[in-house]
Amino acid sequence: MAEEAKSKTSGGAHVFGVRHHGPGCARDLLRALEALQPVEVLIEGPADLSPLLPMLARPEMVPPVALLAYDEADPAQAAFWPFATFSPEYQAALWALKRGVPVRFIDLPSTLALAARFPEAPPEISETSEEPPAAQADETAPAETEPDPEALKLRRDPIGALAEAAGYQDGESWWQDLIEQNPAPGPLFEAIAEAMSALRAAAPPPDAHEAAREAHMRLAMAEAVKAAEGKPVAVVCGAWHVPALLETSAQKTDKALIPKAPKRRTAAAWAPWSSARLAFSRGYSAGVEAPGWLKHIWESPPGRADAAWIAKIAAALRAEGRVISTASVIEALRLSTALAALRERPTPGFEEMREAAVACLCEGRGEQWGLIAEELLIGAEVGEIPGDAPLTPLIADLQRQQKALKLKPEALDRELPVDLRSENGLARSTLLHRLNVLDAPWGRLEGAGKSRGTFRENWRLRWEPDFAVRLVEALAYGSTIAEAAAGRLMERFEEATDLSDLADLVMQALVIQAPAAAARGVEVLERRAAETGDALGLMKALPPLADALRYGGARALATDRLETLLRAMALRAALGLSYSARNLDSEAARDFRDRLRAAEEALKLAEIDAETREIWLKALREAADHAETTPLIAGTATQILSEAGILDAEETARRLETALSPGGSAPGGSARGAGFFEGFFLGGGAQRLIHDAPLRAAVDGWLMGLEEEAFVESLPLMRRVFSDMDSAQRRRMFSALFGKGPSGPTGLAPAPDLAAIWPEHEARILGILSGGQGA
Amino acid sequence: MSDPLRLPAEQGYAAELAALAKDDGPRPAGWRLTPKAVVTYLLGGKAADGTVIGAKYVGERKLIETAVATLATDRALLLIGSPGTAKSWVSEHLAAAVAGDSTLVIQGTAGTDENQIRYGWNYAQLLAHGPSREALTPTPLLRAMETGKLCRIEELTRMGSEVQDTLITVLSEKTLPIPELNTAVYASRGFNVIATANDRDKGVNEMSSALKRRFNVVVLPPPDDLDQEIAIVVKRVGESAAALELPAPKNVAEEVARVVGIFRELRNGRSADGKTTLKTPSGSLSTAEAIGVVVGGLAQAAYFNDGKLDAESLGANLIGAIVKDPLQDKIVLSEYLETVLRKRPADSAYYKALSRLA
Repeated sequence: MAEEAKSKTSGGAHVFGVRHHGPGCARDLLRALEALQPVEVLIEGPADLSPLLPMLARPEMVPPVALLAYDEADPAQAAFWPFATFSPEYQAALWALKRGVPVRFIDLPSTLALAARFPEAPPEISETSEEPPAAQADETAPAETEPDPEALKLRRDPIGALAEAAGYQDGESWWQDLIEQNPAPGPLFEAIAEAMSALRAAAPPPDAHEAAREAHMRLAMAEAVKAAEGKPVAVVCGAWHVPALLETSAQKTDKALIPKAPKRRTAAAWAPWSSARLAFSRGYSAGVEAPGWLKHIWESPPGRADAAWIAKIAAALRAEGRVISTASVIEALRLSTALAALRERPTPGFEEMREAAVACLCEGRGEQWGLIAEELLIGAEVGEIPGDAPLTPLIADLQRQQKALKLKPEALDRELPVDLRSENGLARSTLLHRLNVLDAPWGRLEGAGKSRGTFRENWRLRWEPDFAVRLVEALAYGSTIAEAAAGRLMERFEEATDLSDLADLVMQALVIQAPAAAARGVEVLERRAAETGDALGLMKALPPLADALRYGGARALATDRLETLLRAMALRAALGLSYSARNLDSEAARDFRDRLRAAEEALKLAEIDAETREIWLKALREAADHAETTPLIAGTATQILSEAGILDAEETARRLETALSPGGSAPGGSARGAGFFEGFFLGGGAQRLIHDAPLRAAVDGWLMGLEEEAFVESLPLMRRVFSDMDSAQRRRMFSALFGKGPSGPTGLAPAPDLAAIWPEHEARILGILSGGQGA
Repeated sequence: MSDPLRLPAEQGYAAELAALAKDDGPRPAGWRLTPKAVVTYLLGGKAADGTVIGAKYVGERKLIETAVATLATDRALLLIGSPGTAKSWVSEHLAAAVAGDSTLVIQGTAGTDENQIRYGWNYAQLLAHGPSREALTPTPLLRAMETGKLCRIEELTRMGSEVQDTLITVLSEKTLPIPELNTAVYASRGFNVIATANDRDKGVNEMSSALKRRFNVVVLPPPDDLDQEIAIVVKRVGESAAALELPAPKNVAEEVARVVGIFRELRNGRSADGKTTLKTPSGSLSTAEAIGVVVGGLAQAAYFNDGKLDAESLGANLIGAIVKDPLQDKIVLSEYLETVLRKRPADSAYYKALSRLA
């Protein structure tokens, strides 16, 4: 009966080497446990956290979840042991708990695991390091030695490495084929153990940490075997460790291998996990490539994963708006079977199905597969944990920070002005911003947006009890508030569709002091910016970026990357500017005008480099010159150019005159003139009419030449333009118009070399004003 | 008989095919080789008896495997790709390996009509004896159906959409009705269709989704390896230059590397260092076009530039290849110039020449 899936034994212990997060493995393991009926189940995992295991069987516990141990003094020092539904370790624990069989962890205690990961305990930098340092302590080497990736892969997933050697991209397909090809699943785990012995014989000997872990497991195993009095004990561990656990080694030697426990205090908790965090591709170094696929295998009957998987692919494509007929789905399945036959594999695996789906469902386009791949392969699952689970590190972290920053959670509104120049103020603001990112808006920023770039923020605080719940959910993103906020932002980068939203998120990342997240956001933004052909969208993103640059300056953050990006986006916006400014309807034109002005302001604010500035102005000139440019935009562009000194007064007046001349910019003569006029003057250009005689003459000529009807039509526009002026300005304007000369000092004209000498004058005046030290 | 310029694949590679045919594994009805042997024939390798098989296609194995598996499941195969990605070449060799006959070809053009796909009539017979099988002139498709062979349709999308749709019944029911005779031709086992189509060229027609659905599609990509592509271009440029009796200056290989580099960056939408994402132009920028650009540049150099091949002589040809759509592609090009080429001192000559001409 134990023939089912024989394990390697040592005394009364049956060692099952598994593939971490391998659904095929989990399934075979359950059959093996059922056959063996062990009296105790030992699992690779931190021994001191065994008391938390029974919670796994609670109905409120929904994987993916992770066991998480963290340094009480510094929650950023944390290690995770994630469990998915399809993890053999999880299934083994569940099997034991449901039958009342004792189950416990046998690996080194979490204090030692943390000590190996974070050799000393100094870092105050934990505030800003939001990337969990390559979590999942179980199979990764200590941080200080950087092993080569090949060796790491071999240790973490030796079965995957074997599959790769056999020409498979996907370890699970290989596993399935292996089982399939041995219809009587013979001594499966025994075969794995043998393969591992061969692999380990060729690998370098384990480092001290790994040796200590294996010694610890051996000792626990021996103890359990003794207690079992001849009855079987099951040991579930990573396949890599099997040969080491089967080794005979004197207890004394083993004990000597285990280092003394360090003097740190750790706490542990269950945390909800997400499928994205299980996956490699989100930047976490340990995990699996395709949790979505693994879950699918676990949920399908053995050997029957194919049809349902292709149906899932079809459903995902349909959700993307593609029309996929059932006939095509059938063809995809047939093709995958034929491909498997061609490759001499018993059943279609992951790769065959992917290629069949591309050929039959995606019109051969890999890109279409790419559209749905992430959703299919990674999935959007988030685990749940019981409400009465031990205090999670995020709450603990929050309480610690509340204490340090002297902020009490109160359910009543309370004003809190914050001065960013003080250390405490900056920390308070950062904490509140981070909580906002985590959807726990304890504080609301009053007059949001306006305070950027100043040193003062006004918050209104009010604590709601459900914030605590949200913080538990947020654990899926990180184990400290800083980490979790950064993790949440990273996810939102992917969700954001709009360039300006993205730019806003980058700004937020800077505000919450998450440089890595900001860098990631900049990367995403760069990619999207390159893909878009939409000058308007690019211009929209310029102001928040410029803000971020300025704000970053106020908070002394590294922003050179941002500057490069701003330059690149300005460049791209400039290149498309003149084309997208053509033939806009009035609403689109107004929007475009506002964006253009905002972008110009942003570029001035950010003090963009001369080269980019030149290209930007060149683009504006092109827009101003081109006959098809919407008049409103042409007017705006002309005004900006004139302000920037690209067009001199004479040229500006000439252009205005041309645009306003009745037949000059036909068709639609006067309407076009009005558009240009509005573009030029609305938003601060009107004052120029007071001083600039040629300009005034051009406008005057235009107004005088208008037919009555057109004149009446343009009155509201006039009103809007001139309502910007105060009464004194209007008076001066009238006097200028009616030849009385300006009411200010007469006969004065700007000195010709004004531009050159002004800075010096200004400095002197400022000096006098600020302390009378003007030289 | 005169010496043919080029033999069909099944004759040119008869020895290899014969060696591969010795593999007696199971094969689909009507197939000369096992599917595995067909893959070996295309990608190169060794036959069971040790005969060395040359590679006909250099590229991803999974594409050829998908193509062969498609044919093995009785599904029609559609090979899509830009000009110069070896679609016809793969199609010919597939037909030769699977059916031993690559000559049943319908060449699609804008002038192709239904009669060239289904069947035509011998009007003398028709008038003399009325409608009969004898009066019918079979097309390659009809012959392939009757003999259980592969019919190749070249440039499927150049035919009008309604002409393409003639294939729908043939592909789904493997039957060609002849209503005039109140009969139908039923395909023998082994019959199948390999079509090739161009997706990004001018003058191609849309395929109806009803027809597209009846094909499994394999997209043949441009060469993914830079050195391989440069080698192809250098070789082909050498051949063309010799044929046109153009002198080839010493720096041809160097300039080819530059041109291919520019093409690849634009085609992949990413600068070579991977740091800058780019828009891709509407043209295909295929290897074949790169060859055209360099040959054009050679001609210009020989006749107008004292034989000097440089950025100036290549520039106009490059722009012609890149800017196919006067508006969109121009933005693409200027963006590329400003964000990539400008920053590379080695390419400053190209930056100058292209910015001036663009």
